[in-house]
Amino acid sequence: MALTAPGQQLNLNESPSWGSRSVDCFEKLEQIGEGTYGQVYMAREIRTGEIVALKKIRMDNEREGFPITAIREIKILKKLHHENVIKLKEIVTSPGPEKDEQGRPDGNKYKGGIYMVFEYMDHDLTGLADRPGMRFSVPQIKCYMRQLLTGLHYCHVNQVLHRDIKGSNLLIDNEGNLKLADFGLARSFSNDHNANLTNRVITLWYRPPELLLGTTKYGPAVDMWSVGCIFAELLHGKPIFPGKDEPEQLNKIFELCGAPDEVNWPGVSKIPWYNNFKPTRPMKRRLREVFRHFDRHALELLERMLTLDPSQRISAKDALDAEYFWTDPLPCDPKSLPKYESSHEFQTKKKRQQQRQHDENAKRQKLQHPQQHGRIPPIQQSGQAHPQMRSGPNQPMHNSQPPVATGPSHHYGKPRGPAGGPGRYPPSGTSGGYNHPNRGGQGGGGYGSGPYPPQGRAPPYGSSGMTGAPRGGGSSGYGVGAPNYPQGAPYGSSGAGRGSNMMGGNRNQQYGWQQ
Amino acid sequence: MLASGKLTANSSRQPELIQPEPTTPRVLTILSTVIEKLVARNDRIVDGMSSGLTRLGKSLNAFHGVRAPSISIQKYLERLYKYTSCSPSCFVVGYVYIDRLLHKHPDSLVVSLNVHRLLVTSVLVASKMLDDEHHNNAFYARVGGVSNAELNKLEIEFLFLLDFGVMVSSRIFENYCLHLEKEMLLNGTLQKIERPIPSNSLDDVTEISVDDTHNSTSPSQVVD
Repeated sequence: MALTAPGQQLNLNESPSWGSRSVDCFEKLEQIGEGTYGQVYMAREIRTGEIVALKKIRMDNEREGFPITAIREIKILKKLHHENVIKLKEIVTSPGPEKDEQGRPDGNKYKGGIYMVFEYMDHDLTGLADRPGMRFSVPQIKCYMRQLLTGLHYCHVNQVLHRDIKGSNLLIDNEGNLKLADFGLARSFSNDHNANLTNRVITLWYRPPELLLGTTKYGPAVDMWSVGCIFAELLHGKPIFPGKDEPEQLNKIFELCGAPDEVNWPGVSKIPWYNNFKPTRPMKRRLREVFRHFDRHALELLERMLTLDPSQRISAKDALDAEYFWTDPLPCDPKSLPKYESSHEFQTKKKRQQQRQHDENAKRQKLQHPQQHGRIPPIQQSGQAHPQMRSGPNQPMHNSQPPVATGPSHHYGKPRGPAGGPGRYPPSGTSGGYNHPNRGGQGGGGYGSGPYPPQGRAPPYGSSGMTGAPRGGGSSGYGVGAPNYPQGAPYGSSGAGRGSNMMGGNRNQQYGWQQ
Repeated sequence: MLASGKLTANSSRQPELIQPEPTTPRVLTILSTVIEKLVARNDRIVDGMSSGLTRLGKSLNAFHGVRAPSISIQKYLERLYKYTSCSPSCFVVGYVYIDRLLHKHPDSLVVSLNVHRLLVTSVLVASKMLDDEHHNNAFYARVGGVSNAELNKLEIEFLFLLDFGVMVSSRIFENYCLHLEKEMLLNGTLQKIERPIPSNSLDDVTEISVDDTHNSTSPSQVVD
């Protein structure tokens, strides 16, 4: 018997009811990630054979109860349905083995855990970009950027702020589709901008200046700053603002984008921490100068994304209308993109560790050319995985084509369509009648051109456990006085939290053993 | 545990956070009037059944105590408000949740044996949704007079019963406020519920936005 229904109850006939099925309907295949609130597994639904991702909700903090990030993510994903937003298929439970005092099953069907079931995605952007030898072509970057903006625009018109846009939260499947994921920090917003929101969101390197300055009234522009950071990172080949703490983060931003003042950002002096952080010396905007080698339209768009004043920053909708997406080379069709062997940041890290261990063993055995590690997928051979090939950070990269799928797709043997041999996805092929002069990855705005040659991809910083002395020609990128970068990546090994960054951290791991 | 049906909360176990008596938000008065009426009616229905509660559905089983707690609904709501200092909107949203739950599970009845647990759980979930600064389950358990473990179980049960439908748009929020006020009019009192935001800025898809306040912490604070 209901109370009354003044509001509409529209979602009464969803089916099946979430939580009605057990995780036993799925067979776990392997762990593919470690999220802020639990492990992520690749799994196969037994009945249909469909591959899914299972995200286990960590319930080990009794005092906190059901994690708030999980409730928020579920709540928001229930409402969002878009091809560029990850689809939450259902929630399943596991009763676990516990019995009550009398030895009966205690009837708590949630004891063994609660899992969110997502559609499976092969990669995340960080993992993909971080593959040895990976080069994104210009049409490919445009294609990813357009999908990112389309998904984000959808969120924003539905009044949802993502608040954690970064490479490892952008999932990519082997059809070339990009989807926004990890809505654990997301929330709804109202247009009046009078609500006080927490400024402790967004991974540091992608966090906009207004949040760093302590504002609590903000909107979709915060996500657009993160998009700008990712865009620049795709073009530049590494993170552009790798700050180690908030003050350094702001400083890096000011060094590239200039210092904020009442002229370029009306109202900035009223933001809570402005006076604590305002630069002591004049700093002018150097973005165009630093990235002068970028394609003109790319630079134009980047300028409008990395605008200090959030009210002047470009919206997702306007960004989609930017010249950049409508001039040659056009964004490619996602389906025309090469297929890559599965790569998640979690896996890439693990593989690197294995590789490193293997190489150390090999060194100890004084082998000049260590054999490929048995567990390293063959695809790595096409990149620069061989340590000996990279004698130093200044050695030019190979001019290798972007790796296309080699060999079998997934070891778990699910047919994922044609394996996509080189013939089917020619790296320099054209498709759909588009003219793709730069297809193949060496083109104009991609990495590897301009004054930031490949050594830029080698980390200028030592990694943890190493000497920590800057290598790589002392470059910290575009010459923001090389910071005293802390050893290793800014994130703990927990994998959680803010530092899970595109490219940067991993590369430290990747090359850290050299020298 | 509440197996005995007694709330263990009492003044000697109250959380340290003793505050000056705040003015009780009107929403609490309204809500307790409405819910007390409902519970009284449902209790009569159950009493009238030959087999009592066994004829009802099992959806709310987890929330049933053996005996009804002695604390009145009004006092219980005031207690929740006083010690958790959640925003008053949480009570409206908690009410929305309970109403949704009953719609989804038409065989369930709010009665004096389950109403307290439903209330503490619904306010807890609402506060998690609305307030960035909220007390944890352990705290709510102490205020609500249930064990931490039981409250956790109730929370999960509640979320699944709701099918995780915990989004409340500001339009729905406003509708429920109007409904609650109308109930009071029937009782002969005109009382307005405190709204978090001016209603002209309300918007269909917008969640109510009282919440999400933050502490002006030092900028070096780690993001969590």
